[in-house]
Amino acid sequence: MKRIENRYVLTVIYATLTIYALFSVIPFFWTTLQSFKTPRQANSRVPLFIFEPTADNYTDLWLKTIPDDPLLVAAVLVAIFGLLAFVGMQARRFPFPRGYVYLGVLAVGFAVLWSIPGYVRTQTFYDYFLNTIIVTIGTICISISIGCLAGYALARYSGIAGVIILVTALGFRSLPGMAYILPYWWFGQRSGLYDTHILLIITLVAINQPFTIWMLRSFFMNIPKEIEESAMVDGANRLTAFLSVIIPIMWPGIISTALFTLLLAYSDFLLVRILTQSNWTLTVAISKYAAGEDPGHITLAAAAAVSAAVPIIIVVFIFQSQLVKGLTSGAVKG
Amino acid sequence: MNRRTFFMFMSPSLLVMLTLMVFPLLTSIWLSTQYMTFRNINDPEFVGLANYLDVFEDRKFWQAFTFTMTFIAIAVPAQISVGFLIAVLLDQVSSRIRGIYIAAFLMPFIVVPVVGTLMVKQLFESGGIVAWAYRALLGSRFIFTEQSVKSLILVHSLWAATPFPLIVFFAGLQTLPDELIEASMIDGATRLRQVRHIMIPHLRSLFVFVGLISIMDAYRVFDSVFVLTEQNPIYKAEVMMLYTFRTAMSVQRLGKANAMSVITVVMILVVLVPFLLRTYKEQTEER
Repeated sequence: MKRIENRYVLTVIYATLTIYALFSVIPFFWTTLQSFKTPRQANSRVPLFIFEPTADNYTDLWLKTIPDDPLLVAAVLVAIFGLLAFVGMQARRFPFPRGYVYLGVLAVGFAVLWSIPGYVRTQTFYDYFLNTIIVTIGTICISISIGCLAGYALARYSGIAGVIILVTALGFRSLPGMAYILPYWWFGQRSGLYDTHILLIITLVAINQPFTIWMLRSFFMNIPKEIEESAMVDGANRLTAFLSVIIPIMWPGIISTALFTLLLAYSDFLLVRILTQSNWTLTVAISKYAAGEDPGHITLAAAAAVSAAVPIIIVVFIFQSQLVKGLTSGAVKG
Repeated sequence: MNRRTFFMFMSPSLLVMLTLMVFPLLTSIWLSTQYMTFRNINDPEFVGLANYLDVFEDRKFWQAFTFTMTFIAIAVPAQISVGFLIAVLLDQVSSRIRGIYIAAFLMPFIVVPVVGTLMVKQLFESGGIVAWAYRALLGSRFIFTEQSVKSLILVHSLWAATPFPLIVFFAGLQTLPDELIEASMIDGATRLRQVRHIMIPHLRSLFVFVGLISIMDAYRVFDSVFVLTEQNPIYKAEVMMLYTFRTAMSVQRLGKANAMSVITVVMILVVLVPFLLRTYKEQTEER
């Protein structure tokens, strides 16, 4: 296609795009800046861009007392998680199925995070962080396991029942969440599961299941039928063929879907807000910082917002190519 | 794959969706006919349609309804037109620079809604950069009032929800055959006419798709309104979801809240049914 050559028009185009890009990123930029200020600096009459940064807001948020040798603790943690990330990325080189490697990495990583309060005195904000990890990982594992079976069946079955299930599921997904969450609350109260992780996990799995099966189905449809058919000719039944032949080549699709499930579970606010009293996730915990009377609440809110955004930005950064694959697979419909 | 194997593979997922989506929806209808507060969860009292009458006579519910509809009527066209404009402009830029722009545009989309709202709110806090600009330009302080919180909710929705139409339209423009544009250039069509007569018709089905999804998303907006009105719950900037939430959790009228959520579900069917029919047709054709 012929590009625009008129310089004047080009300038206008770039200017518009840049203004919109600034509009998109300024809240991130400003909040990060505010989170490194003292309350006094943050409330100054004229916005400060150059100042002496302080990490006090973050330490106040996460820690009760600062450890004697903070640098050593940080270095050890970075080393452990760097190693785990490396092992996870090299998963396909191990002589056993990749699923075990991923599970192993997650288990070790979580054990390390779990043991931290034994060495460092942390605030409740850290407990919310752990809750978030338990809930998102639990949701991903269950959601993807049952979603893979369903997505595969939907991709291979040509009867009308498949379409009806897909469309109905989409319909249920599009309804306001409140319609399910108030009954969940009632179930929770009646069964005593209110304020437990397990209730959050099963309800998040259910609410995101329509999305999961749509997305996984679109990935399974890209895998040629001949692959499992040849395995089935060799005498394997469909389930064995699915587990031993299809799943190993589906990992990119699974990781991509898991990433979107993570984003959905991590960002869910209404459900977690209603179904928990104290076992909050980060998303609910930080909403507590939305308002406050004392001048310090602005910087603390900024630090909380940045703290909750950073894990997601790290994950998105590591898995950006899978994210793009998911976005372009055409199955992402909110 | 035969029918039996299909349902065997489907069963865990179907079971979850039936017990935790279909069944709760029915429970919600049942709960909406009960008088229930936090005190009598175990033995609610049957009141028939009294909760529904209560909702229809509730002035605050209609205020929330009006604000939700106003919000949809302003936010959705704004998101779609800004998204389309930026997508068309982005399409004109060389592909190397595009990557940077797309990364910036997607930031609000990726970040958790509550976090994004807190971040936008930071700009307007005392000492915030927009609050400062506001004072410098207009000479008065930015304060959180009903009107300003409502505009803030709109600004935030433009910030947070525009990336979706933007990316969908941009992807749609990539499928536009180059020959069409070239042929129209030979015929002497201007850029604006190309947009009007080639791009918009090419993207028509995407406009419908994005429009329906954006309406449904705007209809159930909750997180950002919750965070922005947390400053002071007396603001009348409540949307229907927030009012339902407060009726259930603060006022503790659970039956009435369930009646409200049943009403909101019925109302959204106006948009949802055409959307589902469209998807159904697409899928049966693809089969």
